Amino acid sequence: MTDGTDVADPGTDVVPADAEGGALVPADAEHPVAAEAHSHPGPRLYILIALVLVILTAFEVAASYTDVNSNLLIALLAIMATAKFILVCAWYMHMKQDAPFFRRVFTIGIVGAAIVYGIVLLVFSSTVLKS
Amino acid sequence: MAQAVVPAQPGPLAHADPGHGHDTNTGVSNSKLAIWLFLSSEALFFGAFITTYFLYRGRDTQFLKGPKPEELLNIPFTSVTSFILLMSSLTMVLALAAIQRGDERQLRIWLLATALFGLTFISGQVYEFTEFYREGLTLSSNMFGTSFFVLTGLHGAHVTMGIVWLLLLWGRSAQGRLPQAKSEAVEIAGLYWHFVDVVWIFIFTAIYLIPQH
Repeated sequence: MTDGTDVADPGTDVVPADAEGGALVPADAEHPVAAEAHSHPGPRLYILIALVLVILTAFEVAASYTDVNSNLLIALLAIMATAKFILVCAWYMHMKQDAPFFRRVFTIGIVGAAIVYGIVLLVFSSTVLKS
Repeated sequence: MAQAVVPAQPGPLAHADPGHGHDTNTGVSNSKLAIWLFLSSEALFFGAFITTYFLYRGRDTQFLKGPKPEELLNIPFTSVTSFILLMSSLTMVLALAAIQRGDERQLRIWLLATALFGLTFISGQVYEFTEFYREGLTLSSNMFGTSFFVLTGLHGAHVTMGIVWLLLLWGRSAQGRLPQAKSEAVEIAGLYWHFVDVVWIFIFTAIYLIPQH
């Protein structure tokens, strides 16, 4: 199995120029947002991340069966879910390697949702409780 | 597309990331930008339903007139289906790695594996819904029923869409219409699939793992 990094760019017109097989990366001075070229990780790292995700899930499920304080349990579960979220986004969705512009677009949605719904929960939870 | 090129670092093959160097105003692929914008809006979409679930959970005097969540939720069963969905993210990313190195056979294997994992997850959800219905929980029996079925049902609909998308890609590849040069099509489907997976991470925690009281 070859490493996942040894791929040619499918979306750009890139012409190899040297005889040693080194691919060429577009120099895109007009688009600073896209100036960097990155490598996607290989299958070995993907499997390692899957292993971490499975272990985290096992810890989550195990934690839900324990008799720890409810608030502490919620905090623990929230931390583990966030860790899984970050792992999938960073490595499987390639946010770590991809153009920062995509990361910003997605982060706006995530942070926006967290702020908006955090406020909703704070404002309405007591109202719903009383009704 | 006329672009100046500079040599990459020496190595087996340099990889120019698909998100870079496009002849667009932003310099990034419009298709990828569109899917990221869509996923960003989906975060708000699912956030609304997760918030609604949290607002109504545990309010049993007013809202839980039928079966209670603690009597219905089967954590071991859902843990297995969650594990399957997590594994489908791995097979999805392996499908992308396969097409990026030009291995179309591996691409089809991993795409099919991802679709089958997704299908298993959906089958588990259908089984769970059926069981809950037999126990007396419906969309209108109480607020738990409403928020549970709407949230998990919408997620299930997204997974189903993803399965259809993956099978279409598999069909295109089987017909030889998905070469390495079109790997971005797999990448975009993969982004959608991984997002559906991360949404489930939070749904699973919110509904099944956080204690009801």
